[in-house]
Parts: sequence; structure tokens; C-alpha cells
Amino acid sequence: MIKKSDFKAALILIISVIFLLSLQAASKAEAKQTGEVKDNPGKKIYEERCLVCHGRKGDGKGPASLMKRSEKSGRILEIKPRDFTLGAFRFRSTPTGCLPTEADLILLVDKGIPRSFMPPHKDQLTKEQKKAVVEYVKTFSTRWKEEEPCKPVVVRKPKWVGSKSSVEKGKKLYKDMKCWECHGDTGKGDGPKADLQKDDWGNKILAFDFTTGATKMGSDPENVYTAYTTGLDGAGMPSYEDSMSEADRWHLVSYTLKLMGKVK
Amino acid sequence: MSEHKQIGLKAFKHNLKSALKSFAGSYLRGGKPTSDRTRSSAIFNNFFLHIQGVKTHINTLRPGYTLGLGLLSFFLLLATTISGVLLMVYYNPSIENAYNSVKDINYVVFAGKLIRNVHKWAGEGMIILVLLHMARVFYTSSYKQGRQFNWVIGLALLVITFGINLSGYMLPWDQLSYWALVIVANIIQSPKEITDSLGLTGFFDLGGFSKELFLGGLTAGKESLTRVYLLHIMLFPILMFIFLGVHFWRIRKDGGLTKPEVFEPKAMDAALTTPPEKKGGLFPLNKTYGLMELAKGKTPAVDRDVENTVLSWPNLLWAEAALFVFCLAGVIVYSYFIDAPLKELANPLIPENPAKAPWYFLGLQELLSYSAFMGGVGLPGLALLGLALIPYLDREEQHVGLWFSNRQGKLIALESIAVSAAVIIGLLAFVINFGWFRSWWPNVPQLLITLINPGNIWVGFMILWSMFVIKRTGSTRMGAIALFTMFLVSYLIYTYVGTELRGPNWDFFWSRSAWPVH
Amino acid sequence: MRNRFFTWILFLSGGVLLIFTLLAAYRELTPEWEKYQAQYKEQIIKAAKDDAAKKKARQLKQEVQQLYLGALNRIDRCTSCHIGVENPRMASAKLPLKQHSGAYLKNHPPDKFGCSVCHYGQGRAVNKKEAHGLGHETHWDFPVMPLKYIQSSCTQCHDYETLTAKGYDTIAKGAKLFTEKGCRGCHKLDGIGGALGKKLDIVGSQPIAYFPMRHVEGEKTTYNWHKQHFTNPRALVPESEMKISVKPEETDLLATYVLSLRSGEMPKAYRKIKGRMAVGKPDEGEALYKMFCIACHTDGKESYYDEIFNHTIPSIKNPAFLKAAEDKYLKKVLEEGRAGTQMTSWKLAAGGLGESEINKLITYITKERPSSKPERFNVARFKPDEKRGGELYKVRCALCHGKKGEGELGVNLRNPVVQGADPEFLAITIRDGRAETPMPPFGKKGLSLTEQDLADLVSFVRTLSKTK
Repeated sequence: MIKKSDFKAALILIISVIFLLSLQAASKAEAKQTGEVKDNPGKKIYEERCLVCHGRKGDGKGPASLMKRSEKSGRILEIKPRDFTLGAFRFRSTPTGCLPTEADLILLVDKGIPRSFMPPHKDQLTKEQKKAVVEYVKTFSTRWKEEEPCKPVVVRKPKWVGSKSSVEKGKKLYKDMKCWECHGDTGKGDGPKADLQKDDWGNKILAFDFTTGATKMGSDPENVYTAYTTGLDGAGMPSYEDSMSEADRWHLVSYTLKLMGKVK
Repeated sequence: MSEHKQIGLKAFKHNLKSALKSFAGSYLRGGKPTSDRTRSSAIFNNFFLHIQGVKTHINTLRPGYTLGLGLLSFFLLLATTISGVLLMVYYNPSIENAYNSVKDINYVVFAGKLIRNVHKWAGEGMIILVLLHMARVFYTSSYKQGRQFNWVIGLALLVITFGINLSGYMLPWDQLSYWALVIVANIIQSPKEITDSLGLTGFFDLGGFSKELFLGGLTAGKESLTRVYLLHIMLFPILMFIFLGVHFWRIRKDGGLTKPEVFEPKAMDAALTTPPEKKGGLFPLNKTYGLMELAKGKTPAVDRDVENTVLSWPNLLWAEAALFVFCLAGVIVYSYFIDAPLKELANPLIPENPAKAPWYFLGLQELLSYSAFMGGVGLPGLALLGLALIPYLDREEQHVGLWFSNRQGKLIALESIAVSAAVIIGLLAFVINFGWFRSWWPNVPQLLITLINPGNIWVGFMILWSMFVIKRTGSTRMGAIALFTMFLVSYLIYTYVGTELRGPNWDFFWSRSAWPVH
Repeated sequence: MRNRFFTWILFLSGGVLLIFTLLAAYRELTPEWEKYQAQYKEQIIKAAKDDAAKKKARQLKQEVQQLYLGALNRIDRCTSCHIGVENPRMASAKLPLKQHSGAYLKNHPPDKFGCSVCHYGQGRAVNKKEAHGLGHETHWDFPVMPLKYIQSSCTQCHDYETLTAKGYDTIAKGAKLFTEKGCRGCHKLDGIGGALGKKLDIVGSQPIAYFPMRHVEGEKTTYNWHKQHFTNPRALVPESEMKISVKPEETDLLATYVLSLRSGEMPKAYRKIKGRMAVGKPDEGEALYKMFCIACHTDGKESYYDEIFNHTIPSIKNPAFLKAAEDKYLKKVLEEGRAGTQMTSWKLAAGGLGESEINKLITYITKERPSSKPERFNVARFKPDEKRGGELYKVRCALCHGKKGEGELGVNLRNPVVQGADPEFLAITIRDGRAETPMPPFGKKGLSLTEQDLADLVSFVRTLSKTK
């Protein structure tokens, strides 16, 4: 026969077991977490320095992600931190459609991205720390598990880049390849199709204004050439590796330098 | 009684008809000269003309000898004076009205613009011609044989010419005038550089005092314009005419212009002269004209030997007339085409950059950029002293009247051109590319820069090189040729640099088109 | 036998002298204006109605026309070419003979006003090029003004209301734009305004050399300079920090206004107003905001990093900000400005705003302040560890606020106002962040700074001004 007092005792027993189990689970979870941190210094760095913009899940939705920037022309841009989950990166040395190399990512962490709010971290992290945080960033997208980054494109700058004749050829290419549709006739980013551009995340993205005198990837001719060759994946700027010859791309670089005001 | 009336009326008619002829006749006390005697008296009986000799040596008339430079300078002075007096009718020397009065001269006074142009170009042309005249006198050794003092008088005239030009430059009260005034005032203040370095300024501020005296105050303003006007229309002209009078007087007293010891009239001289009636001249033995005071020294005769002289009337006067018309024609043509500059109204708040003195001072301004005192007072003073000493340091009496003295002289002159050009350009290249003491050692004491700077180095080199030439050639004349040639070359090069190659902030530019546009 | 050589020189030079004297005389006797006066005379004779009129017309003298304006200290000779300016018969003639348009000359008779007092130009000249004064070689700072800016001359004597009432409202519109586009936020006028830009008091009378003309398109005049400067300041002054957003037609209105800011005063007999026309200082919060703040802060609702300033311009009407900041703090910011940034000090001795004006501004800015106050932090509870705060700052804050707090995406923290702010305000800001701006709430979970962390940070932040 089951007495009332027995029922009570059983209830207490069950509750304590559940309680103890959950405690253990919690401590296990905590152990797992600290164990993870111990095993994963990249995550720690990410959470301290990167999460605030890029978000806990690397989706660019961190608490500080509402950032606006007013250009010299008065145009106000909304800058969104990169969403790592798609695995699409603009500034790489690899051809379009490919993942960036580790060196690419470490370079981004080092230099930051000028004229955006990604700051440089060169002096603040050791080489190992940078490697670690880059490894952690890779965990946000499954692409890294499925693919290998391709080989970087070859960049060989001819001597005539920036010369008058090259600038003239570049000007014609700019017109023929319809760069002006987004970037505008004077390179101000005010072309007829500029307003319609969206990036891979569905957000409106502005065509770049060359007249600001700098580009995000770096303002050397080699950087501009790399951008034209690799395309800025995820940002609506296609690669021209297949549609233009190497020489033509360099001519376009010359004309770009002129729009930037770096050559006459 | 009617006969009287007849004669009276007839005489009256006749007198009326011949009034003009007799007026001309009354003017020239001997009547129109028809003989050598009357040609002589036309000269020595005339108030203006008697400063010239009755006879002139043929060498004097040769264009290739004097190039007419002295006379051209004098005629330019006349043109400047007459045009200046005309301008004075309309110019108003107050800072409220000066600029507008010059504008009105340009726009509404009949021929005002032309007259102003004549005044400006004749005045500045005088500087060029006076320098060329000085060069001619030097190269023909015409500072010798008793003409030493006249050379010094000529130097005084040179200084007055610069002064009168500079004071005139400041009168329109436009941006050029005002900032030139400021620069000149600062040059006048440059002794302060020395008294500051020696700590004497508290006791004896020569620089500051001179500047205040010049400006009529602490800054350039209405008092300055009054003083500059006084200098320009009164003090300098009076000094100019006094010294010019002495200069012409000395020419006569020193025996006219120099000529070579050995002189042969050439075929071309026939084209220049009308020989006197009698060979051997007018006065074969007696050279005085009577009624003269007896004085020691040379007699006031045109020359001891009367060979190779011709009567001044008409030869010298015809040459002078031709030169006068030539001078006027040149001035009118230049003034017809090129307008004297007039920029915006003076604005003390907007400095010209570069603020430049008039072109004839730009060589000095280049030296000024090295050291204020040396460039403004020291080196010009030294240059004038050096020039003044030439006749006293070189007393050789050979080769007077010959350009460059002899072949050696020509070679020395050429060598000096080459050496001085090389050294000056080298110094300039060094300073322009590397700077000077303060560019390397910011705290270097000013006195050191005052003592050692490219200007001093150049002048020191000039002096040493000339001494070297004297030693090498054994002749003070050759040394003098070297020194004077180098002086001319340096004046030319530094003036060119200051005019064409110095832009805003006195930075170096290869041409004006390279100046940064404001 | 004559001296051949000198004879040649004499006669050749004499010939040249004679020729050029005659040429010069000819040039003097045929001035430019004579041509126009001859045309005028012809037209008058043709238009003469009867013989008497024809006779009178034939007697017209052709000479320089001069208007001597003693009270204005000017001489205008414009009517030497513009001879028909007062003649109604010339209403349909071609320039320069054409009659002056409108009825202006009725109230502004040329013999009392002349022409250059309104139209500029070089009155004393008697040839077109120098009279109009266009071109560097004329060395004249005020060429004839384009007619679209002509109303800038009216305010030498007239006030805005009278002008607007008569239909001449360009200048009043320009003045209104000036008061509503925040120009005085950087430019002083009559001693009141910010110090980032140049003083505007006599900008309309400044000579050409005062402005950097290198990049001006077209004629290098002050008129073009102003218009192009309003269109894009950096096109003319590459290092300019001027922020302006106006439509193309508004640049002309502003240029008219700015050109009316002249030195000197017209003689009393000419002026219909007392003293000079001035925009004055508004008396009300919103108007003050539009006059001084709007150029940089726009509507105050957004905060953004400005590439011209290279600083973030904070949103001053942000409800989260207003919630946390007390009026005392706002007053301090307005009075002292934020040294090290473009925010000017506005107190009477600096920007020229008195206490009542500053209070009115604060009332206006805080109009939409949320009624609830943020939760107190109570900094005093903690013993702060500055060193630890510094470590935290380096990792968490430096990438937005700069290593020394000089400000980048984040605001400048070194300036005296932030340094002297109530630590409570700082702590709350770090804890709660600033909604609608990139400043995240560090106290909330996810970013997990403990309260001790916050106190350490606050104590470190307050030492930033001491680091060089």
C-alpha cells in the first residue's frame, strides 16, 4: 500500500535528481564553455572586439551596427558590418566566386577597411591572435568547410599604367563596358543604375565615388587592378577577368586613377 | 614833311616784311654763321651752348666710340622732366587722390596716357642708358687723365638716377607702389640687423631712425607719400641738375672726351663731319679766347693739337640734334605701344606675393634675401665705394681712349664674363637647392649669416679675383677690367634672377608660368 | 658737305617721330565713346519730329560725359558710351545706347547717384574693357556685376521689407536663407557666430586677391567665386570644412546676400534706413537653432561620421541622449563647446550667445525629451581601478573612440566638457549605450561588462585629457 508520506518522499527524490542533473548539465555546459574558450582563443578575441559590430552569430547584426557616414558630397551612406554567414568577401586576391585566402583575411584585420568603420588591428593583436580570430570567423559559414580557397590572381603592373594614352584607352573602355551606368560619367557613383544596386544580403549598396580620391581596397594601381579582376563578391561589383583582357583591365586602372585625381 | 611820312611808312612796311628774318638775326648775335669765326662765336657766345667747346675732336663724334650713351641719358632726362612737369598739372600727392588722379590722367587728359608712358619709360630707360654709359666710360679708360673726379660725379648721378626712379615708382599709390615702399623702408631699416646682433639697438637704432625718417612715421602711409613726392619732384631733380652741371663743366675742363694717343682720321669720318675751312684749325698758336682768368693747369682749350678737330658748329650740334630726335622717336614708339603698369589701389591688408622692388633693384633684392643688411646697405655701399675707387687704384695712363685698352684687355673681359657667370650661377644653384645656414641649423646666430652669405662670398670672390688678375698681368688696369666686368655680369644675372626666376615667397621657379596660381 | 651719317639718323628718326606723333594724336582724337555718341546723334536726328528738334539734335556736342558725385566720392563716366540711358526714345535701341530698364532712374537720378554705386564697374574709365573691369589685366576688383546679383546693392540704402513690398525680394530671400541654413554656426557676422569660418562682415567689399581664385571656372571675379563656393566649397578651397546643402537656385540668392555685406556706409542723405542692414539675432529657440546649429546638426535626429570634419557629429535631439543628459550638461556643452572638435564655444565672449539665448536653445532641443529618467548607476558604490579601466578601454573602446579618446566613429572624449561631466552620466551612457547610434549598451548581456568594469572604465575615461 502507498502511503501519503511515501509519495512526498518520492516527489522530493525526483525533484532533487532533476535539480542535481540540471546542475551537472549547467556545470558541464560551463565547463564546455570555458573549455571552449580555453581551446578557442579566437572566440574570446571575437567576443571582445568584433561581436559588438559583427554580432554573436557573425551576421553583422551586433549592437553597434547602426553606422552612418556622410561623404564630402553630402551623400549619407549607411555602413553595415559584414555578415560572415554567406561567406562572400569583397576584398580578396582570389578570382570571383572563390573564398579569400587566410592571408587576405589577416590583411583585412591588419589594415581595416579605409573609409568604412572596420578599424585596423595591426598593433593590437599578435600574429597568432589574428590567425585564431580568422579561424573563428570561418566557423560562421559552411562554405569554408565545403570549399578550399583558390589560388590568388597574378598581378603584374606594366610600365605604361597611368600614361596619357592608357588613360585615353581606359576612358573608352569605361564607356564601352558601361561602367558609367553605376559609377556615373565622372566616376561620382551617380550613374543611372546606381540607385538600383543591392548587395547579396538584399541591402541597398551605393556605387563607389572615385572622386573621393581613395578606394577601399587600397589606392595603388595594383589594388585597383585586383578589384577589377577578382570582382567585389557580395557587393554588386562583378569581376572583369573573363570579359576584359589583362591589358584592357590595366587601361581601365589608368582611367580610374585619373578619376581619383591621382594622375592628370 | 610828306617825304618824312613817305620814308617812315616805307620803312615801316619794309621792317614788317623782314621782321621774322631780323628776329632770327637778333637771336644769334653774329647772325647766321657763315664763316669759321662766326661758327665759333655761335658756340661760345651762347648761354646754353658755351659749355661745349668751339672745336670737337673727331673721335668724339665717332658713333662707335661713345655710342652716344651719355647724350641719350641726358635727352631721356629732358624727356622725363618735361613729361613730369606736364603730369604735375594733374597728379595729386595725397593717398586719397593719388591713384584716382593717375587714372584720370590715363583716361581723360588729352594724351595723358602717352605722356605718362613717356615719363615712365624715359625714366627707366635712363637707368639702362646710364649704366651703359658708365660701362663705356670705364672700358675706354675715360676715368683717367684728370677725369677721375668726373667719374665720381657720375657715380653720384647714378645714385640720384636710381633714387629718382624709385621715388617716382611710389607715387601712383597702387599695389606696386605701396609694397615697393614697404620693401624699401625695410631695406632702410636693415642696419637694425647689425645693431640687434651687437645688442646696440637700445642705444642707437640707426635702422629704425632711418626708416622713420623715410616713412614720416612708423608705417607707410600718407606722410610717406608726401616725402617721396618731395624727393621725386624737388630734391632729386635739384641734385640731379646740379651734379649734371658739374659733370658737363668737368668734361670741358678735363679737355673734352678722351681719345686714343695715336689717332688717324678715317674715310668714314668724312661722313660724320664738315672739316673747318682752314687746315690746321682756327687758332694755330693761340688757344685762349681772351677775357679768361688765368689759372694753373691746362688751358681751357679744346685740345692742344688742333689737328683732327672740327668745328662744333655744326658738327657736334648736328650729331646732338640727330641723337635727340632719335631718342625722342624711340621713347614715343615705345610709349605708343606699351603702357606703364597700374595695378589695383594700394591695400595694406593684401600684400603682393612676391612683393618686388622695381626691376632695377631686383638684383639687390636677391642679395637682400641672403642678408637684409648686406643686401640693402652693405654690399651696395661696398659696390659704390669700389666703383668710386677705380680711378684712384688704377692710375696707369696707357691705352686711354681705346675700348678694352688692348687685346689683353679684351681677353681679360671675356675671361671675367666666363668666370663670374660660372661662380654666380654656381652660388645660386647651391643656395636654391640646399639653402643656407638657417636651413641646416635653425638656431644659428644672425651675425654669422650677415658675415657669411652668398652675397658676401660673391663680392669677396670678385675682389680676390681682381687682385689675382692684377698679380697675373702686372697691371692694375687689367684688374679693374676684371672687377668692373664681373660687377656688370653680376648686376645682370642677379637682376634677371630677381625678375624672372623668383616667385611667391621668393621661391625659385624656372619660369613665371610655373608660379602657383592663387 | 653735310654730315651724312647724322643727317640720316636725324631725318629717319624725325620721320618715325612724326609718324608716331600723328598716330598718337589720331588715337587720342578718336576714342571709343565717340563712335557710340555719333550713332546716338544719328538716331536722335532721325527720330526728331520737326525741324526745330532736328536743328537742336544736330547741335549735340560729342564729348566725354562725366557725373561727378561728390557725396559718394565717385566719378562715373559710363554715360560717355551709355549716352541714351535716360532717353525714353532709346527704349528699343541696342546697347550701349539703350535706355535704362524699369523706372529706377526716376528715383535714382544719375546726376545724384551715378552708375557704379549700384552696378560696380570702373566709373572713371572711358573705354569698354576697363570701364567694365572684367579680366585680370584691368586690375579692377569690382567689375560690372551680373544683373542677377544687383539687389546686393539695394541694401546700402533700403531695408528688406520695403524692397520685398515693391517686388524686389531676391535679397530678402537670400538673407532668409542665411538665417535658416546655419551659416553663422561657423561664420561670424557682427561679432556673433562660430569661429571655424572667416568673418563675413565686409566680405562683399573684399578685393579679388582676398579669395583663392585658382579653381574658379570662367571669369575670375568675386561674384563667380561666391556662387561656385556655395555650390561646392571644396571645389574652390580643397581643405574647406564648410557644410552646406542648398539647391542650385538658392546659391544665387545666397551670393546676392553675401555680396550685400559691404564696408562703409552711404551718406545719410542717401540712406532710407538707419545704419546698415543687418540680419540681427533671433529671439526664439527654433530660429536660433536654424541660424547657428542646423548646418552641422541638420535635424539633430541622426548621428553620422562626417568625412569633411573627420569627426562624428552627434545627434543632439536623440531621445536616448536627451534622456541621459541633464540641462546643466547641455548648457556646459553649448557654452564651452567641445575643444578638439568642430563644436564651437557659444558663450557671449566666444560665439556671442547670451544666457537667455542658450537657455532658449536648450528648451528647443529638449522639446521631445522622454519623461522617464534612466536608472541610476551610482558610481560611488565602486572603488575604481584606473589601470584595469585602461585595459578594457584598449580592447573595447579604442577602435571607435580612438586610442587617446580623440574620436573617430565615436565621439571625442578628451574635451573638457566630457571630462568634467558627471560620472553618473558617463556610467549610464556606457551601460545603456545610445539608441539609434552605434554606441552599444555595454552593460546589457551579450556584451557583458560588469558594473565594476563600467566603474573602472569611467574612471579611466576621465583621465584621457591627461594623456598627450
